[in-house]
Amino acid sequence: MTGWRLSGAELTRWLEDLLRGGTRVIAPVDEDGRRVFKAVDDPARVCLASGKTRWSPKEFVFPKTEALFSYAVQADGVTLRAASVDAAEQVLFGVRPCDAAGLARLDATFLGGEIDPLYARRRDLTTVVSLGCAEAEPECFCTAVGGSPGGEEGSDLQLLPAGEGWLVRPLTPKGERLAASLSTWAAKASDEEWEQARASVRRVEESIRHSAVAREWASILEASFDSPVWEALGRRCLGCSICTYVCPSCSCFDVNDNGTASCGERCRSWDSCTFALFTRQASGHNPRPTQASRYRQRVLHKFAYYPQRYEGRFMCVGCGRCVAMCPVGMDIQEAVRMAVEAPRGSGDAGR
Amino acid sequence: MPGVDGERNPFQPNLVRIASAHDETPDVQTLQLEFLDPEVARQFRWEPGQFAEYSVFGVGESVLTLANSPTRAQHVECTLRAVGKVTRAIGALSVGQVLGFRGPYGNWFPVEQWRERNLVFVGGGIGMAALRAPLQFVLDKRADYGEILVLNGARSIADLVYKDEMNEWQAVDGVRVVRTVDPGGEAEGWDGEVGLIPNVFERLGLAPDGRVVIVCGPPVMMHYMYLALEKTGFGPDQVVTTLESKMKCGLGLCGRCNIGRSFVCREGPVYTWAQVRALPEDS
Repeated sequence: MTGWRLSGAELTRWLEDLLRGGTRVIAPVDEDGRRVFKAVDDPARVCLASGKTRWSPKEFVFPKTEALFSYAVQADGVTLRAASVDAAEQVLFGVRPCDAAGLARLDATFLGGEIDPLYARRRDLTTVVSLGCAEAEPECFCTAVGGSPGGEEGSDLQLLPAGEGWLVRPLTPKGERLAASLSTWAAKASDEEWEQARASVRRVEESIRHSAVAREWASILEASFDSPVWEALGRRCLGCSICTYVCPSCSCFDVNDNGTASCGERCRSWDSCTFALFTRQASGHNPRPTQASRYRQRVLHKFAYYPQRYEGRFMCVGCGRCVAMCPVGMDIQEAVRMAVEAPRGSGDAGR
Repeated sequence: MPGVDGERNPFQPNLVRIASAHDETPDVQTLQLEFLDPEVARQFRWEPGQFAEYSVFGVGESVLTLANSPTRAQHVECTLRAVGKVTRAIGALSVGQVLGFRGPYGNWFPVEQWRERNLVFVGGGIGMAALRAPLQFVLDKRADYGEILVLNGARSIADLVYKDEMNEWQAVDGVRVVRTVDPGGEAEGWDGEVGLIPNVFERLGLAPDGRVVIVCGPPVMMHYMYLALEKTGFGPDQVVTTLESKMKCGLGLCGRCNIGRSFVCREGPVYTWAQVRALPEDS
C-alpha cells in the first residue's frame, strides 16, 4: 500500500506548499457557526473535524448560476460571445466520501451522454481530496446506498483519519500529481497503519444503522407510480425545494436570460423538480400538477429512473442533508421504503 | 483565462433572420427563418418531427417543432402561438429581425416505415404545426405513400391554421382534408364538420387495416383521441404522436422533460402510442 502518514502540522505544511504554488484550495471552514466550503489562503482555517458542510461542494463544478454565453444586440447585428469558465486549477480539499460520490453522479449526468463543455472544463481543472469520516452524523446513510465513510468513488486522493493525524493516498493520476511533493519529505505509511484506518472506517460503517436500499427495488418503485403512498407523502411536502439545493447529486437547471434586450447573458441556474413551474407549460397544462406528483418524481428519478440508466447506481449518496434540512421532516429513505412496501394501489397522485 | 472558446458550446445558438411572417390566426403565425451564416445554412439538416430552441435575446428560449419538411429546405419554418413569454416576444418581432436558433433535436417520425401505407394525420389546434413537416414530406414523395387523410380541427374557424395550404393539399390526388370546429365555433357558410376531433374521427369510420395514424393535439384531445382509436379498433403500434414537453436544454441535461425513464428531448419527441402507454402518466 502506497501513501503517507501526516501529522496535523505536516498536513498544514502540505496545504501551505499547495497554496504557495498558486493552487486554489477550497476546503471546509467554520464561519458564523456553519461549516461551508470556501477558497482558503490560510491552512489554519481549514476544518477537518467530524461533521459535514452545510452545502455539498457541487457549486464549485456546477455553479448556482453561470453564464452560457453573452449577447449584444446593436443596430448592425447581434454578437454572441462564448462563456469563459472563470475557474483556475482547483483542489476540493476535505470532501466527505458521500460528496465525492455526488461528483461522480454529476459526472454521469453531464459527461455521460451529451458532454456539457462548461461542466467538463471545471471538472478537468478540479482535483478532489476526500476525507474519510471518523464518525457518522444521525442523518448519514451512505452505507444504505452503496457508499462508505471511507469510500473512494469520485476521489482523486484519499485522506483517512489515523489517531491524531492522517493517512493520505493518491487514487488517480491527478491525485498523484497533487501528492508529488509528499514523496520528498513525508513518512511512508505502513500496511498496518492502513489496516487500522480501515478498521476504524468499518466501525463508523457499523454505527450507521440504516438498512440497505436494494438495487432491485428500482422496478418495484417504478411500478409504485400509481400507489396512494405518494398522495400521502405529497401532502406533507411544502415544495420548498431545499432538498434539491443541498443535494450533492441533483443536477436540474433552468436556462434564463439575465440582461436587457440590448445586452446581457444567457445563464443557467439550479432549478428544482419540486416547483410547479418546473414543468408547467405556457398553455397552463402541467404534467405534474400536484405536490405529490412532484415529490414522486424526485424520489423515482433518484431511485428508479437513474439507476436503470446508469448501471444500477442511485442518484443519492446518503449524505442525509435533505433529511436534516427538510422543514417538515421528510425522509427520502423512508419514502422509498414506504413506496416499496405499499400495496400497488390505484391512487391518483398525478392528476 | 480558460474558456470553452473553440469547443462546441451546445447552448450557444445560431442566428436566424425572419425572412417572412404569415398570420395563421389572430395569435398564431408561421415564420420563415434564414441563417445569417451561409455556411451554417448549407450544413443544416433535419428530419420531419425534430424540434429546436428559438430565442429572443433578453427574454429567453422556447422549444418549438420545425414546422416544415426538409424536402422544402429553402427556409426553416416555425409556427407558434403567442401564449408564453418567449412566444409573445417572437410574435412581436418584425421581418428582418434576428432570433437565436439551436437544433435540431430529438428523434423524428418514421416516414420510411410508412411507405405504401395509408396515412391519417389528426391535428388539433396548434398541434397541427407538429404534423406539417411529416405531411409535407409525404406529399413531396406522394408516389411512395397510399391515401392521405388530414383531419384538422380547432375551437373556431378563426383558430384553424394553414387554411391556404389545406386547400392546396386537398387538391392533390389521393389526399382528403377534413376540417372541423368545436360546436359553437362554426359560422354562416362553414362547409366543414362541426364536432370535437375524436368524435369526427369516429364518424369517419376508417378501417384500421394498413393505416398509420399520426396525431398531435392538446392533452384533453389526446385523452379522448386514444379512447376513440381504441373504440375504432386501431392498435397501439399503428398510432404515432409527438410529446412536446416543456424543455430548457434540449440535450437531456436540464431534467424537466422526463417522463419516467424517457427524456422527451432525447428519446422523443416522437413516440408510438404503444410507447406512450408504457410510460407513466406524467405528460
